[in-house]
Amino acid sequence: MENFVTAFDTAVDNALFWLSDHAAFVFDFFRLLLEGLYDGVLWLLMLPPFHVIAALAGLLAWRMLGLGAGIATAVALIACAAMARWPETMSTLALVIAATVIALAISLPLGVLAGLMPRLDRALTPVLDLIQTMPPYIYLLPAIALLGYGPATALVATVIVAMPPTIRLTALGIRQTPNEFIELGHATGVTPMQMFWKIRLPFAVPSIMAGINQSLMMAFGMVVIAGIVGSGGLGETIYGAIRTLDIATSINASIAIVVLTMVLDRVTQAAARVK
Amino acid sequence: MRAARQWHDKSRDREMEMTQADTSDVLIDCRSVWKVFGDRNAEAIRAITERGLTKKDILQEYNCVVGVSDATLQVRRGEIFCIMGLSGSGKSTLIRLLNRLIEPSLGQVLVKGRDIAAMDAATLRETRAHHIGMVFQSVALLPQRTVLENAAFGLEVQGVPKDERNRAAEAALAKVGLSDWKARYPSELSGGMQQRVGLARALTSDPEIILMDEPFSALDPLIRRQLQDEFRQLTKDLGKSAVFITHDLDEAIRIGDRIAIMKDGVIIQTGTAEEIVMNPADQYVADFVAGISRLHLVKAHSVMIPAAEWQGTAEGLPRCSPEADIDTLIGQITETGSDAIAVEDAGKLVGIVTIRNLLQGVRGDAVAAAA
Repeated sequence: MENFVTAFDTAVDNALFWLSDHAAFVFDFFRLLLEGLYDGVLWLLMLPPFHVIAALAGLLAWRMLGLGAGIATAVALIACAAMARWPETMSTLALVIAATVIALAISLPLGVLAGLMPRLDRALTPVLDLIQTMPPYIYLLPAIALLGYGPATALVATVIVAMPPTIRLTALGIRQTPNEFIELGHATGVTPMQMFWKIRLPFAVPSIMAGINQSLMMAFGMVVIAGIVGSGGLGETIYGAIRTLDIATSINASIAIVVLTMVLDRVTQAAARVK
Repeated sequence: MRAARQWHDKSRDREMEMTQADTSDVLIDCRSVWKVFGDRNAEAIRAITERGLTKKDILQEYNCVVGVSDATLQVRRGEIFCIMGLSGSGKSTLIRLLNRLIEPSLGQVLVKGRDIAAMDAATLRETRAHHIGMVFQSVALLPQRTVLENAAFGLEVQGVPKDERNRAAEAALAKVGLSDWKARYPSELSGGMQQRVGLARALTSDPEIILMDEPFSALDPLIRRQLQDEFRQLTKDLGKSAVFITHDLDEAIRIGDRIAIMKDGVIIQTGTAEEIVMNPADQYVADFVAGISRLHLVKAHSVMIPAAEWQGTAEGLPRCSPEADIDTLIGQITETGSDAIAVEDAGKLVGIVTIRNLLQGVRGDAVAAAA
């Protein structure tokens, strides 16, 4: 038995080594792609001075949630800058945005397919269960082995963790179209594509939006954990502060995380309601 | 109200004469259609055709439910055909067999002469889009769309340009009296208005046949009566044919040119309201029609006695046509104070209706009197 376990571990190690030796160009390419996306988003966020971003976020929150929320958002973001955490806050935001965009690009179509094909749904469910029950930092390990220390690894792990809610809730939304509307579609003579775009999808939107909101929150949690692998941003700041017992830094970085999380959560929830 | 009612009856009679004269003009021809639900429905169907098992046997032996059993009906051009039955009688299944929302297990449904079960997906879509509209009990208005967009849905699906389909939808909304509401959302409308939009949506595609699946059942009685009259009027004005499902015999009588009564998946009796009320096929139908007012259903010709049996003279009696209903006759009698009415067809005396005949007619034992 022990021999078998040792043999299995060796095989996995060897496979990883083989991959990093022989397929390095593939992973280098991935790494460039991911880092490019992250750098692009970050560049955009750092382009205007902090008060412009704060004002824009405040404006958005005002439109979606009301005047009080708008002012609170702007003040909270300015506070992040006042604590000298602005660059880290923006790189965390850039990571969350990049990871969520990638996660949605995969999970939305996958969720739709799972909603339309019960067999795919049955096959996906245990995989999603597995992803969601494993401790999230597990996903850092293979990623760091293949992509190395840096934001690319953080992105991959974050994408994995962020996908399940959107897949599940998209599939659910697509599946639970009220039967009378399916009948209406058939009786009206819709094509299968029209059935999807004009009937199933509109009814699924609230569920899909709830999934996107949850994915965003999962991405947030993971991005902070990914500070361990050199993601940059607030996660790494907190990780460094823990190692040096720098309580002041860890507290103001935490405040910045809370601000960012609450703003994104409330704004996306409001967006889901508007739809 | 009464005048309108009488006008309806007259137009209904004219319609009946027309359709009876022209039986070749069958829009929906449903021939011995069965629907069996259950995992072993194929075996059950074989047992029905080979061994002639009944619904009860099928449930016991195969654990299959017979939804519709050997249903045969014809819907003629310009006719409103009501299917009346209580819940679980299979009426909703039957109407879904007519546009193949449910596949028949056995039998044939011909829509304008074409077997709907044999159609490929594109032809079926085309048939549903252009020839058979449907209105649902749940209305099923898309909540994210305005009233106008809902009404235009059928044409939108067919790829009709926006201007054109909106024009057609506005015209249909005008017919149901909802022009002012086109920019609203369904949630802003009352139940009765929503069902009007449902009807407008079906009319926008201009189908010849409209399937109505208990459209007014969820509405309160006053609105229901109003919509019944409007629906009948509109259908006749536009020259459409309709299959109308209901669990309410009063509604069936108000709306239908002909009525089929269903029980346990079987059509027990098909006929005009008068035929069914006067000659119920079995005790079930008889119990059903027992409480129905005969005033507008029973006509002079079915309660009159031959003129020879009348002791008095027909001279000086008020006159009526054989198609006059009891309500009209009672009116004539109370107004003139006469004991009897002479029934005349094309100026010829065909019979006499006495007060006694009228009372028999109201009670429903007019058959005996006429025989």
